[in-house]
Amino acid sequence: MGTIDFRAASDENSIADLSGQVHQVPCCIRFDGSAEVSHYFKPKSTEVEIDGVRMEEAHFRGRRLQGATISLPSGYSGFVLGQASNQNANGKRKACSSTEENPCWEAKAKFDKMTYWNHDNLPSKDDTFLRSFHWFSIAEALHKPVKVEDLVAVSHGEK
Amino acid sequence: MGSDCLTPEWASQPCLMGIDEAGRGPMVYGCLYCPISYQTTLASLHFADSKTLKEEKREELYESLKLDKSIGWAVDVIGPRELSAKMLAKNKTNLNEISHNSAMGLIKRVLDMGVLLTEVYLDTVGDPEKYRKKLSERFSSIKFVVSKKADSLFPVVSGASIVAKVTRDRALREWLVEETGENINRNFGSGYPGDPETKAWLEQHKHSVFGFPSLVRFSWGTCTAHLKGEVEVAWESDETEEGGNGNSSKRQAKLSRFGFTTCESRSEEMESSGKGRCKFFQARKIQQVTQF
Repeated sequence: MGTIDFRAASDENSIADLSGQVHQVPCCIRFDGSAEVSHYFKPKSTEVEIDGVRMEEAHFRGRRLQGATISLPSGYSGFVLGQASNQNANGKRKACSSTEENPCWEAKAKFDKMTYWNHDNLPSKDDTFLRSFHWFSIAEALHKPVKVEDLVAVSHGEK
Repeated sequence: MGSDCLTPEWASQPCLMGIDEAGRGPMVYGCLYCPISYQTTLASLHFADSKTLKEEKREELYESLKLDKSIGWAVDVIGPRELSAKMLAKNKTNLNEISHNSAMGLIKRVLDMGVLLTEVYLDTVGDPEKYRKKLSERFSSIKFVVSKKADSLFPVVSGASIVAKVTRDRALREWLVEETGENINRNFGSGYPGDPETKAWLEQHKHSVFGFPSLVRFSWGTCTAHLKGEVEVAWESDETEEGGNGNSSKRQAKLSRFGFTTCESRSEEMESSGKGRCKFFQARKIQQVTQF
């Protein structure tokens, strides 16, 4: 079981805000590391607007991508996680230590806006990525504490 | 671009047109048209296949044909990025089809201007007879001649080849390299795969993640060869084609839909298909993750 340390994220200024700079692309790039994204990946806003969302266009490795920048639902945030270092700023060992079986992750950056890209399809409400947000409202209902009134209402309904 | 701002006064006379192409990215289709009655004069203008002419001579002929009141011309420039995008699209369009569409677009443009085209001459693109049929079906009032080496056989096609080649040369000279990375220059040579200058430019402008600046047509065989050994990128739309490489690429491509773009062995195991879960999760590709 992995652990995620969000303590750094709770302080407003301690981690970078990458809102609008996070992209989800419809391909798997077998590379892990930094790259000169802004020099090569140049999204352009188009004239097209669907359901109030401005369509964007970009190219990657010769393919045309169509994307949309969306805000994450309120109450939710995006985080960029990285392997947590075992020591904190004072050189002291942290409470959470990373092991092979229990990797420890740390929020390195956050974002509340991101751009997702489709290959040759205009972004729409039917995209799996946006549809996965449906889970949020369901999760909320599932985890809402049940009040006595609710129970009463249900038992009355059964009679 | 073309002489098409004004419909020529001879538009209602039967006209002939030649169409030829230059380059593969940017690809330029050029056409030249004139009244059939002008054909003999046209033959005396010493247009020859643009490839056999020196650049200065081509430029000179181009300037003179632009001034000729009895000649009309038009071009269609298809940029390398547009070409790659079409050729690498989910529903791929091959270069022949793109070429056919460009030629037909030019014919339509000139017809729409009110020019009475009765004969059109073109070089072969794919099977000549199939191409001729395709053109005749689309434009039934025009007689089409599709022939190999049309650019050296018919002066009207030679003229079109000059229009196309000069337009391409000029476009390349002014082509805006959009990428802003350091050391990106414009000394890309002729663009022929064998040109040492082109080879050196490709080698120098290769980027392990992004490949090349968008001036390069990625669907170009030479380009694929140069990118061997660089960072591999797997696309969902290529899944079926890559079937031979084992199913790991397929699995990873699916993962990317969920947002996992790292391809570690551990994440490979978790296909974000929502398999075994209720339909709600399956349809949204939501997977429960406990190991990360």
